[in-house]
Amino acid sequence: MERAALLERLSRGRAPIVWRTTTVREIVLETEHARTIVLDVPGWPGHVAGQHVDVRLTAEDGYQAERSYSIASAPESPSLSLTVVVFDDGEVSPYLAEELRVGDEFEVRGPVGGYFTWRVEDGGPLLLIAGGSGLVPLMAMLRHHAAQASAVPVSMLVSARSRDDTLYRDELATLSGHGGVEVSYTLTREQPRGWTGFARRVDAEMLTAVGPSPGDRPRVFVCGPTAFVESVADRLVELGHAPGAIRAERFGPTGE
Amino acid sequence: MSEEALWLDGNAIAGLLSEVFGAELTSTERRCQSCGSVTCLGAHRVYQGAGTVVRCPVCGDLALRITPLPDRHVVLLSGTWALEVPRPSPT
Repeated sequence: MERAALLERLSRGRAPIVWRTTTVREIVLETEHARTIVLDVPGWPGHVAGQHVDVRLTAEDGYQAERSYSIASAPESPSLSLTVVVFDDGEVSPYLAEELRVGDEFEVRGPVGGYFTWRVEDGGPLLLIAGGSGLVPLMAMLRHHAAQASAVPVSMLVSARSRDDTLYRDELATLSGHGGVEVSYTLTREQPRGWTGFARRVDAEMLTAVGPSPGDRPRVFVCGPTAFVESVADRLVELGHAPGAIRAERFGPTGE
Repeated sequence: MSEEALWLDGNAIAGLLSEVFGAELTSTERRCQSCGSVTCLGAHRVYQGAGTVVRCPVCGDLALRITPLPDRHVVLLSGTWALEVPRPSPT
């Protein structure tokens, strides 16, 4: 086979990872510290719930900064949404969360990642555990579940500092209690008067109360700051969940 | 800030891995030469500074270093990599 033909064959099926210019269509305030950026991305190839995009910002002097963000929208959504928390570390998040305006352009590439992902056909039951902005990729999974009217049972535990800091509050309230989805909350710093949910860091007792038992062999996804994920994953293994059934994704040192 | 909070996992470099290796690698399993454990690259520990360092999540043995230079990435693989990568079905 000719060399060129061979190279062509080798590269087929491997979509090159390219930077695409995206335009901000809409900005949604989620909490005092978080915004969802709704994007138009020409040529977007589609994604799987749990995947990311890399975002690249270029300053006027040519200086570039990159950071990876989880996709918040379901694969079924006509647009691509990212939720950005202002106090995430780095140079990119403060710009995206505070400076960006509708109509602005920047570059994205992706979707990337195939480890921390879930499709309805992967089955369940699902146990989703979110710390702070770690909720974002898990929300994509929950939205995908709803869009597909999946019958897979889902237990979600959301850990946030306070009720005002909880992302997607209204949407979670709407989704919970239907289609086999149950969302539980723990507010670690501040609880509203009359709060009946949990009010402490995630522990074994809480995981036992909200989730399927290890005997049900749930698929477990944990996302949050590194220290949060380490602690939750240790508790899950102690409770008897198979380490291979636990998939984790860690954010930077700040967050929850 | 505790020291253990300063690392991330392989998910954070999914884009970089695609750029360097030309394929999605976070769901690919790697066997560690040092401790023998088999874990997905997405579950490996990632330390990011001037470059990227990837370590076995079980024993911490060095697996991969990627250093960005202005015009290229310098990639150093450590240990024995036993990678199982799905093949696209022939068309």
